[in-house]
Amino acid sequence: MNEVIDLLSYPFVYRALIAGSLISVCASVLGVILVLKHYSLIGHGLSEIGFASLSLSSALKIPAMYVAAPSVFIASFVIMFVSRKYKTAGDIAIAAASSSALAAGIAVSSLTGTASNMSSYLFGSVLAVTENDLLLSVILSFIVISVFIVLYNRLFLITYNEDYARSLGINTAFYQLIISVLTAMIVVAGMKLTGTLLISGVIILPAVTAKIIASGFRSLVIMSGIISFIAFVFGLIASFIFNIPAGAGVILMNTMILIIARVVRLKK
Amino acid sequence: MTERLRLSNAVIKYGDVTAVNGVSMTANEGEMIFITGSNGSGKSTLIKAIAGLLPLSSGSLERTGKMSYVPQYEDADRDFPARAFEIVITGTQRHGKLFYTHDDTERALTAMKELGIYDLADKEIRTLSGGQLRRVFLARAICGNPELLLLDEPCAGLDAQSHEVLFNVIRNILSGGCAVVMVTHDISDIDGISEGRIIKISGGRISIQ
Ligand SMILES: Nc1ncnc2c1ncn2[C@@H]1O[C@H](COP(=O)(O)OP(=O)(O)O)[C@@H](O)[C@H]1O
Ligand SMILES: [Mg+2]
Repeated sequence: MNEVIDLLSYPFVYRALIAGSLISVCASVLGVILVLKHYSLIGHGLSEIGFASLSLSSALKIPAMYVAAPSVFIASFVIMFVSRKYKTAGDIAIAAASSSALAAGIAVSSLTGTASNMSSYLFGSVLAVTENDLLLSVILSFIVISVFIVLYNRLFLITYNEDYARSLGINTAFYQLIISVLTAMIVVAGMKLTGTLLISGVIILPAVTAKIIASGFRSLVIMSGIISFIAFVFGLIASFIFNIPAGAGVILMNTMILIIARVVRLKK
Repeated sequence: MTERLRLSNAVIKYGDVTAVNGVSMTANEGEMIFITGSNGSGKSTLIKAIAGLLPLSSGSLERTGKMSYVPQYEDADRDFPARAFEIVITGTQRHGKLFYTHDDTERALTAMKELGIYDLADKEIRTLSGGQLRRVFLARAICGNPELLLLDEPCAGLDAQSHEVLFNVIRNILSGGCAVVMVTHDISDIDGISEGRIIKISGGRISIQ
């Protein structure tokens, strides 16, 4: 326990703790929509593209965000467009594009001799979180949560039944775009900390767990946020104790909570 | 009398298949219109197009006033984690209106009372029966204060008593000036209402009017 308290005296630890908690909560709240709308692949696709752009920026020696942020945003528009237009073909397109992006990222890293960074891109690193990243996380989280609160009723309506929303004269494409832009923001903000391989888990897992225990949509959203927060904090601590990457600790903690929820639910 | 709906020579296609082929109809305020016909005759396609969910290949559609649509099947996940009330109140949303007012809450609860599902407000929809869920969707349509109400097979899955409740609700909103267009394959559904025009379609065309 004392070791844990000692850890907090390191600035990189509290930076990771604050930035990570904010991102985890935002990610899991959006995750509710992505899970219910069967858009789970979007987070995954965006993160692979994030990985490719991180590799590229490190090879070209330019700041990561200048490459990653625009590519992830552009990708989120393309993915939304493709999945609207081609329905199930969208899933296949995302899966294909994202593994290609992953391969391209690995190739670039290997060819340019920057492969040593690869593990930290894929699995995340608390040491990588700078003051600027912390600021970015605070701003992005503020945007995501505000948008979510203001558009809550609308997002619920569209998540539940898009056709019905359209019959009320609501522009569903616009809201889908908002969902994918918010997801892009979270992916960009969370990429460094949890790693590109695992950010989609941070988005999806808490919502899956919350769906087991919550009743009603509002409680689902709140539960998802709480579960994600707890999983992040304890997952991060566990990652220090067992000396594993932060992303792995957080995801495993989420998985554990999911299994516990499932088992408890089955017993009832 | 205000015209709520005017459809002229509507043709609706799914790829190469023409499901509706040159249908024209109107609906005025306070008017009840039944669309009947056998399975596959194009009724659902027609009403979806009126709701603005399917494009017309040719012809024109004009609507005025607030519209509510109750689809034949709710294609959303039956397992969706929402309470009945959460679903019903979405019927008060409109383009440009993001928040519910106190009035919206009242109207949603009143509609649930009218349809006899007030006690189910806090129940999750996955625990409801088919007939109860139908009434949830009807309550959702009604609490939006529609001026044009579109119903696709609203009697499917309703018992005799709920059927009676439904027709009372329909009579109520007709007298409030709403135009109602109701699709049904079963002509006996119509017994409950004396007024109203019947349009029969077969093979995507109007056969009897
Ligand atoms: N999504 C669809 N894609 C292709 N064909 C369809 C689709 N929906 C309906 N159809 C066809 O259009 C015709 C009319 O269907 P529908 O409007 O559902 O009939 P009804 O509601 O009168 O039973 C049928 O031949 C049906 O097979
Ligand atoms: Mg039908």
